[in-house]
Amino acid sequence: MPEPALALTGRVVDDAGLLLPQQEATLTRALAALERDKGPQFVVATTRSLQGRRIEEYSIDLARAWAIGSAKRNDGVVLLIAPNERKVRIEVGYGLEKRLPDEFCAKVIRETIMPAFRQGDFPGGIARGAGALIEQMRRAPMASLGLFPQRPRMAA
Amino acid sequence: MKIRLAVALLLAAPLAGCGINSVPTAEETAKAKWANVQADYQRRADLIPNLVETVKGFAKQESTVLTQVTEARAKATQTVLSPDDLNDPAKVKAFQDAQGAVSAALVNIRNITEAYPELKSSDNFLALQSQLEGTENRINVSIKDYNEAVQSYNTIIRTFPDMIGAKIIHGAKPMVPFQSQPGSDKAPAVKFG
Repeated sequence: MPEPALALTGRVVDDAGLLLPQQEATLTRALAALERDKGPQFVVATTRSLQGRRIEEYSIDLARAWAIGSAKRNDGVVLLIAPNERKVRIEVGYGLEKRLPDEFCAKVIRETIMPAFRQGDFPGGIARGAGALIEQMRRAPMASLGLFPQRPRMAA
Repeated sequence: MKIRLAVALLLAAPLAGCGINSVPTAEETAKAKWANVQADYQRRADLIPNLVETVKGFAKQESTVLTQVTEARAKATQTVLSPDDLNDPAKVKAFQDAQGAVSAALVNIRNITEAYPELKSSDNFLALQSQLEGTENRINVSIKDYNEAVQSYNTIIRTFPDMIGAKIIHGAKPMVPFQSQPGSDKAPAVKFG
């Protein structure tokens, strides 16, 4: 496994320097509580540069190199912000796909994160976006209404 | 007892290095990764009927592209590639071409939706679009993982001493890597600001 592009220094990896220390601390507490109470490992990362790569490629390589989430449950989540390329991505482990499906994540980005970012409010967008994901993961399990039956997948 | 053990070890030693175990393991890994590729292509196929209905709701006059994607999907569903065919370049190509036709048809749908702002902004379409993009991304990731497994396998069966076991015992033929999808190096355009 190649070296991750960013070092996993904590639950919030603010390489692009978008958050003040107390904002980072508040977010870290919420992420730690989520893991303690519900299990999923959720890391929020900001990067100064995608190094010319597509954000989808960058984020999955990062999530895998960091080994976010339990290998058995595949319950890692990465919220990645690349302010200089103006891109956001929510990378979801396969085990969480029913709780955080594509359309839900796209809606959080489109309706919660992007509007704040367009106003230049990075801390607000990050906090509210992460909050929406955390809230969704904290919900009691829903009856299985996923579009896709669980297909057995081999972990990467 | 000790002598028998020593003899057993002596006999076992040359076999250990010659691909008896590493070849089937590498092959099973590649086949399992292939199963993920197939599952992701199926996931894409499963989204298409809903997409067709949604587009019809706003743009039913676009019958050409709707027919095209429906037919491409049907053909792709019929073009089956079993794990045992993964070392047959012609069969792999046939599968890839069939899926490529689906990809091209989906691009055409994406292009015509530009002319229908009500369609583009409808919740149903936005959800579908995110699911399609998510699925295309999963396909790309699965293809990449599969190709890595194929490269491992192909290297093992070519490299001494594993190739001894590969040729004599397994009759191993190289597996065919997948081409990455056209346009997979281009990002879909969701940006802020």
